[in-house]
Amino acid sequence: MAQLSGPEIKNSLRKLDYPLCAKEAIIKIGQLICNRVPSLKHMDLALDLMAELIFCEIDRRGNKRQTSLTSLDELQLLEILYDYLNSTHNETSRNAVFLSLFSGTTAMMRSNILSKLISVAIGIPAPCVLFSASVWMQQLGNTSLNSKQLAKSLINDYFILSPNSVPKLSLLPHIAPQFTANFLTAISNLYFNDVNKPSVTFPPINLLEAITLWVKDNSGLCIAAQQTQASLPPGAIAMEATTPIAGLLNWTIVAPLHNQHSELYGKLHLGLLNSILEIQPITPPRAISTAHLLQPFGKIVRYFIQYQKKYVDGEYIDKEKRLAENVDLQLSLDRYAQAIQVALSINCVYGNMEDFFYQLSQLPQNRLLHIVMRTHKLNK
Amino acid sequence: MDTDLINVSDEEYVVQRAKRSLKIDPVAAKAWMITAKTLYPNNFAVQFEAYKIEKEAGHVKEAAKYFSDLLSKFQREPEFWQEIENVTAALRYEHDASDSEKHFLCDMFKHLSFDVQHQLLLFTAEHCEDTMEHCRLLLLLLQRFPNAISTHGPRLVDTLLSAEKHSHPGNQPVNPYRKLLVSDVLPLLANENINIEFSSKLLFKLLHKSTEFYLCSLEMSKSSVQDPSISIDDPWKKLFGVIELTGRHLGWELYLITFGPNWTKENYWQKILTFCQTHKTSTPEDHMNTKQLIYCLTIFFLNCLYDYNLSLSPEAPPGQVQTSFLLVEAFTDPNLPTPVTEPKSKRRKGDNDTVPVITVDKNESKSVVSNFLMAVNCWDLFHSSDNLQREFAKVNGHIKLDSWLFNFLIDYSIYKGLHDDALVRLQQINDSHLSLPKNIRHSSILYLRKNYTSSFEPLLLAIQSLPTTNRGTLSTQLNTGGIQRHLHFLPLTQMAVLQYCVKLLCRCIKDNLLKQSNNYNELAIGNILVLLQFDWPQEEDLLPLIIEQIRQRGSFSYLLFQAYIINVDILEELTYLWTEQGGQITLDILPHLGQRRIGTRGADKGVKEEIKYAIKRQIARSNEPLDQLIIKFISQERGHILQSLM
Repeated sequence: MAQLSGPEIKNSLRKLDYPLCAKEAIIKIGQLICNRVPSLKHMDLALDLMAELIFCEIDRRGNKRQTSLTSLDELQLLEILYDYLNSTHNETSRNAVFLSLFSGTTAMMRSNILSKLISVAIGIPAPCVLFSASVWMQQLGNTSLNSKQLAKSLINDYFILSPNSVPKLSLLPHIAPQFTANFLTAISNLYFNDVNKPSVTFPPINLLEAITLWVKDNSGLCIAAQQTQASLPPGAIAMEATTPIAGLLNWTIVAPLHNQHSELYGKLHLGLLNSILEIQPITPPRAISTAHLLQPFGKIVRYFIQYQKKYVDGEYIDKEKRLAENVDLQLSLDRYAQAIQVALSINCVYGNMEDFFYQLSQLPQNRLLHIVMRTHKLNK
Repeated sequence: MDTDLINVSDEEYVVQRAKRSLKIDPVAAKAWMITAKTLYPNNFAVQFEAYKIEKEAGHVKEAAKYFSDLLSKFQREPEFWQEIENVTAALRYEHDASDSEKHFLCDMFKHLSFDVQHQLLLFTAEHCEDTMEHCRLLLLLLQRFPNAISTHGPRLVDTLLSAEKHSHPGNQPVNPYRKLLVSDVLPLLANENINIEFSSKLLFKLLHKSTEFYLCSLEMSKSSVQDPSISIDDPWKKLFGVIELTGRHLGWELYLITFGPNWTKENYWQKILTFCQTHKTSTPEDHMNTKQLIYCLTIFFLNCLYDYNLSLSPEAPPGQVQTSFLLVEAFTDPNLPTPVTEPKSKRRKGDNDTVPVITVDKNESKSVVSNFLMAVNCWDLFHSSDNLQREFAKVNGHIKLDSWLFNFLIDYSIYKGLHDDALVRLQQINDSHLSLPKNIRHSSILYLRKNYTSSFEPLLLAIQSLPTTNRGTLSTQLNTGGIQRHLHFLPLTQMAVLQYCVKLLCRCIKDNLLKQSNNYNELAIGNILVLLQFDWPQEEDLLPLIIEQIRQRGSFSYLLFQAYIINVDILEELTYLWTEQGGQITLDILPHLGQRRIGTRGADKGVKEEIKYAIKRQIARSNEPLDQLIIKFISQERGHILQSLM
């Protein structure tokens, strides 16, 4: 069949009914993509086959189809995709097919199928499919819209629609540590994040609980995605995984300011500190960027300004005292300072340190923060 | 924020925040502690505080982690040093860590990495000024880290040897250094997987030290005052272990150094014989063979000897008095049937003439015989060549066996019939506790040497010191048939010893009588009659002979008659002699009738009546306790007895 031309391949596959054509097509796509040096022509053919014969987005003339797949078709397609991926043992090939199925311009269109596929892979569980999903998140950026979309959908499946399945997830960090780490990074950006949003949302308690347990019991989990080199198709540039540390610290630091006083935040915070301690020092550091670590900064400052406004008519002399008496703010600042201290002591923070310290100096008065900053300025 | 923290130092502030959180929010406290630790990595107080917080909270894993950090950085801090000592102290009493802190520390130790555990023990040991403590810690290290044995084991042995030398000039074999060396360190070194080179000189030294130690502690374990710190479980197994260690390093025959669970004395003795048949040991050139034979044989001999000594004084069942046994030369009577002793197949050819029969009253005590004979075998082998004898003397010089051998050698001399030798050894006994056995055997040997008069003196002493608290019973085995020599394990009870003495005295008198030319001595005959009563009818065969003698003589005068002859059978025989059918023998048994022996018929009639009455009176006394009677006889009539012995 390798000798057949593009149109010939298409025509032979078109003779098959759905979903059989999809089943044959994905095999063909695998062959096309996983050649040692896939030509552009082959790539185009593969993409065409996907759009027409697998996802049924276009017809044979290349026009957009108006009707999408029926639920039954979708179910059958999921089975085909899952079987194919799960039985492809060559990691590079599997990642290559996965990436081409769900990346590029069509990524958003196919996100529905993708999240269902990953949901199935978590439930079964299928470590190799999850590993490819992890690579996919990393290549597209684990804080990207696509990754967040996937995370949202998975949270919906497992934590909102069927909360009973949460205990089963406690093993996820063991089954698929890289995926869990990237998943966590994506999740961390979903909550306590008011950028481009009218109001702040908080993670559901059972999600918070699961994450706290994951982090507490697996101190290497947060950097798992950075520990493994994914096998990518030739020519692809490996993207650096963002660790969930800064994103989740943002939760624990900002939570008191939003009256989120679940003790889980304290536990998660401790778990994160312990996770940071476990990071092996490398040069240059890559676990936490200053930019990510500054996420709470704006929120604290905004909170502070609003707090000050309430007392604008009050006595000016008591400003310091008032600040010290604000337990929530002090807790937030204490946690922030603790996180910064531990991360700096391990030397796992990268970025513009001067700017970082400058920003921190703008924060409201806190003794620990003061101590931490002085210590690290002295150390420089 | 707590206002009272405003004026404290930064370090203090962070630590205080951690401590204060501890009660309200332990999770937050931990976060503070982590912060403090990373902020002040070189501040001991902060680091130690972090450890203490985890320890107080009972977090084993975390405490172990902090402890490891401290150990790598702050070994020299006195406060931490104290904690290290607490850990090692707790470890030493791990089995009874009832104290919750000790228990925690032991638990924590288990959570330390192997490297840290090793480092901790080694470090503590090396910094320990007290040698004993140092050695104990090293031992702890070796017990936990078999890998460290080959590195530190030999050094520990050296340290213990020299520590013992310097601290125990009196050379007490049982001392704490020796105990540690012999019963704790050596078993570790004996592990087959440990590869250490030992010089043969050191190996023999260790073997000497071990043997001396175990013998001594065995000796001490028998004494009533027991020191629990010295008591050793299964010392023989450990001593055999040392032989195994030595033999393995010196390439000895495997069958001589294998003491498995199925080990028996008989089998091992066969192995020793095999060794002797296949290896030359008779000349100094067979040095290595001699060494292995001598050491294996010595330990085996000591084991036999120990068991022999145990079976000589077996433990009494609860509530009963302990009875010891004493090997004595017993008696033979060719008229009695030859006893069936051991199957002939067990004996070697030519044994029958020289090897004595050994009897023992109770069946359950039979092992005393086999234990004794095994020890005798070993002793004979030691003396089978000049070379072996010389080598054994050398070993004895090292492990000082003389006091152990003392009693055995008396038994051995008696067994071999070496009377001079036995007498010399008996005379060395000064201990008043041992005077009874000494006197019994002394008397017996003098009898065998036919010194009947001198034999009586120790016999009298023995009678005066009979074991009054242990009555015992009469034996039926003191006299056997056949012509072989007969030895007996005599129970040291009142009745058994008395019986033995009576038989001995009886034979002294009888043999002395036979020696005399005229062969008739009324006093001697009377004395024999008194003595025969004691275990009557065991010696009843003698009675017809005596009666016959009296009949031939026609008269019998014995003035002690009224006092001591009460046995009905004997009285009957005598009365019969006196009757017309019996030959109307004149019985001069009533002291006041002596002058009227030759008188008128009428007067005679009165005498007859008196004798009749006298005999009736004696018969009426026949139930009197014989032991009291005989003791009284021997101790109060010694003049009469001595006369019959001269």
